[in-house]
Amino acid sequence: MIESKRQRRMIANIATYIVLASLTVFCIGPMIWMFLTSLKYEADIVTQTMQYLPSRVTFDNYVAIWTQSGFPRLIGNSLVVTFLTVTVCVVTGTLAAYAFSRFAFRGRDQLMLGYLVVRMFPAVMMIIPLYVVMRGVGLVDSRFGLALAYTSFLLPLFVWMLKGFFDSAPKELESAARIDGSTRLGAMVRIVMPLARNGLVASSVFIAIAAWNEFLFALMLTTGQGSRTWPVGLQLMVGEFQLPWGVLAAGGILSIIPVIVLFAIVQRTMVQGLTAGAIKG
Amino acid sequence: MATLSIRDVRKSYGSVQVLHGVDIELEDGGFLVLLGPSGCGKSTLLNIIAGLDDTSGGDILIGGRSVLDLAPKDRNIAMVFQSYALYPTMSVARNIGFGLEMRGVGADQRKRAVEDAARMLQISHLLDRRPANLSGGQRQRVAMGRAIVRDPELFLFDEPLSNLDAKLRVEMRTEIKRLHERLGTSIVYVTHDQIEAMTLGTKVAVMKGGYIQQLDDPRTIYERPANMFVASFIGSPAMNFLAGRLVPDSEGVQFQASGVSIVLPTRNRPVDSERPVVLGIRPEELRTVPRNRASIMGEIDVVEPTGPETMVTVQVGEHAIIARLPPRFAGRRKEPICLAVDPASVNLFDPDSGRRIDI
Amino acid sequence: MLSHRRFMTTASSRYLPLRALGELSETRYWMYLLLLPSLALILLVIAYPTLYGMAISFREMRLTRPGLDGWVGFKHYVAMWSDPVFWIALKNTVVWVAAAVALELSLGLLAATALNRDLPGTKIFAVLILLPYFLPNVVAGHMWALLLDPRLGVINDLLVRIGVLQSYKAWFADPNTALAATILVEAWHGFPFFALLLLAGLKGIPEDLYKAAAVDGAGLAAQLRLITLPMLKTVIAAAVILRVIGLVNSPDLLLILTGGGPGDATQVLSLYAFQTAYKEFNFGYASALSVVMFVTLMIFAAGYIRISRITKGQGDD
Repeated sequence: MIESKRQRRMIANIATYIVLASLTVFCIGPMIWMFLTSLKYEADIVTQTMQYLPSRVTFDNYVAIWTQSGFPRLIGNSLVVTFLTVTVCVVTGTLAAYAFSRFAFRGRDQLMLGYLVVRMFPAVMMIIPLYVVMRGVGLVDSRFGLALAYTSFLLPLFVWMLKGFFDSAPKELESAARIDGSTRLGAMVRIVMPLARNGLVASSVFIAIAAWNEFLFALMLTTGQGSRTWPVGLQLMVGEFQLPWGVLAAGGILSIIPVIVLFAIVQRTMVQGLTAGAIKG
Repeated sequence: MATLSIRDVRKSYGSVQVLHGVDIELEDGGFLVLLGPSGCGKSTLLNIIAGLDDTSGGDILIGGRSVLDLAPKDRNIAMVFQSYALYPTMSVARNIGFGLEMRGVGADQRKRAVEDAARMLQISHLLDRRPANLSGGQRQRVAMGRAIVRDPELFLFDEPLSNLDAKLRVEMRTEIKRLHERLGTSIVYVTHDQIEAMTLGTKVAVMKGGYIQQLDDPRTIYERPANMFVASFIGSPAMNFLAGRLVPDSEGVQFQASGVSIVLPTRNRPVDSERPVVLGIRPEELRTVPRNRASIMGEIDVVEPTGPETMVTVQVGEHAIIARLPPRFAGRRKEPICLAVDPASVNLFDPDSGRRIDI
Repeated sequence: MLSHRRFMTTASSRYLPLRALGELSETRYWMYLLLLPSLALILLVIAYPTLYGMAISFREMRLTRPGLDGWVGFKHYVAMWSDPVFWIALKNTVVWVAAAVALELSLGLLAATALNRDLPGTKIFAVLILLPYFLPNVVAGHMWALLLDPRLGVINDLLVRIGVLQSYKAWFADPNTALAATILVEAWHGFPFFALLLLAGLKGIPEDLYKAAAVDGAGLAAQLRLITLPMLKTVIAAAVILRVIGLVNSPDLLLILTGGGPGDATQVLSLYAFQTAYKEFNFGYASALSVVMFVTLMIFAAGYIRISRITKGQGDD
């Protein structure tokens, strides 16, 4: 009986590892293949017999994407847009998340629901009027305009996520600080913000990744080199120049490096914030 | 040190009224306990005194000066919270001194004040630690240190002992009493624990449903509860209630119920006709007597020796009552028991309104 | 002692504007001031464009033909009724979303259950499995295009080697397989989201429940049916609706992988609306399409939430 129970447990453990390993191969395998492709000579990619591990390694693809296609410009634009988006969200969203977390006021629940419903709006429905409006005020093909467009779907997300982190800082701490002589503002800056620092960083990283990755708004709202972000640039290169696979793969790897690095740094807090927000919402 | 006046304070959230015109006067150096079950409005009232909550009407005066327009930081009060609310990112010393820091007191003076307070509370050896590395009792002491270092006009305590285990709670209760007697600062103390209210308060306000049920000194509240709610909320085991009638009698009036017949002295007016009443008897007022002197006859149901005394549940007619009897009580289940009570110690209540009746 | 304290400067009072802001924070208008910036921004970039977009759907607006302008009432909506592509896209949207959500939910449940056993070393698996969710669509799309390429795709090669396929297949070019292939890519991209939420849900189930069930003689299957699924119901319901909304609204992956082709085999509503705007600059019709999509989605979400609330009552205490 005990023997069979231990055996059953053993089988279950092995099955668990098999499941996890298969899922990991499914998830990571494609990325590894892309990475391997980026290290191959074009001749080794387009061959009759498939080369699994590259027989020769080259960095030509990386050099090619970096030097020949205006890629640095695209990356630079993406950095600027991401930075602007995060700045706008942090400045306005932190205040709103704090208000939602700390105050009971008339219409609070409705307003929060509103912030949630806004996320249901189809991107296409927003893009068309935004394009028309921004063309009217000269913000099409502007990095600031694009960042502003991004806040339309990232700000509500940021507020919800950060509110969850603020909620986990006890309210009594602020009451104590206010009685100790702080104003509400002082209590927020001195007591609550330091406690929610990890959450603030994680929420910021989450929207930074989303802004960095965004494709649809950027495709519609940027028309020239001046503001075009890397996802649009890469996509257009594929269409216009028949970009070789190796170069495309190299571009892909370069552009996901920041994502992977940021994700690795804050993944624990970010996961916590994502799940908390989603389960409550 | 200052007096505190709470005048007709009302509070509602939307259409829900949680405080209905509360009036309390606390003398300088007094110890006011706000006592009641959860949701009775006691914490709301405390937050209003602190300025953490707005009122919907009425006035609060500290030292004769209205504070309604003042922010919490300008009310010169100190507060100890249920969760202690120690700033996790700061050391114990900085936690205690934060109030002084905010008020721009110089570092040297601050250090001295913090050390004095720490010595008084025997936490001098903890000053460099972080709150996360303290035990519950130590956190409690730090929270109190943070309050006393400021030398405020008024201390506010919000259920400060409810997160401690039973033994520490008794210890800290004594500590708070000692502190009050030493500092002489007025205190408002919120609790749902009637023992804390009895031991600490110079004045106890029993609250329920946003109303003050009774505002008196602890002794009066215990012995002469204003209504059946106060009578049952204070005291453990709770006061026994027996439903019966008052009947005019040659010596005064007689309370009658099945198995019960007690002659009560009347002080004021004689009772002219029969009326239904509820009789309230504290368990410790009951004693066993020979059958011929018994005023209450019943049957023993459960006998629970606790050590210093024995709790006996007695079935009297349709009522079950509890008697607090001496430790060596020898009765057994199903045996008859004869009890008597000092007529001066009982309370009578109106069965409809629950209010106390004085005869 | 007390009175002179009040005149002492507080720490923040060295900067006058900050101090004024601090005092403002003690008034009862403070929360509205905190909300103001984000609210203004949201009204500006969401509320106004949304209303404007709805207005556009009743107008003729083609940027390629500036002369064509003006109110046309329900013209676009009527045109949609007899537009065959609209109906194909509607059907494809339903199939695409339903299949992708079902696949992602199954994979997510599998991953969450495995991760929840907390065997040694599973933490690193959790991080790796989560990664695809954060990858950009553009990279995900081209990566899978490479993997499934008809000439040099490694998946074709593997399938031929193990004998499933006779020869390489053009997955995205064949109308019979194109939709399925895009669903596979979407599942890869989206299932970590389910794994994440379901894992959090699983962690919230008290261990005691399983112990009690084991004592009562419930096997693994019974435990799954009687404890795990009922307790996860709320999380599953929430995750599904969020994902459905996300999938209906974002055409990114299909735009990159197939552009709706071959023919209209992978054409969905959001993509159709986007292309109508982006390629033809027919803003009026595109707006009408997205309004129809949005309204349908809202009706679906409202009904879904209502139904999941009703059944939720039994699982809750």
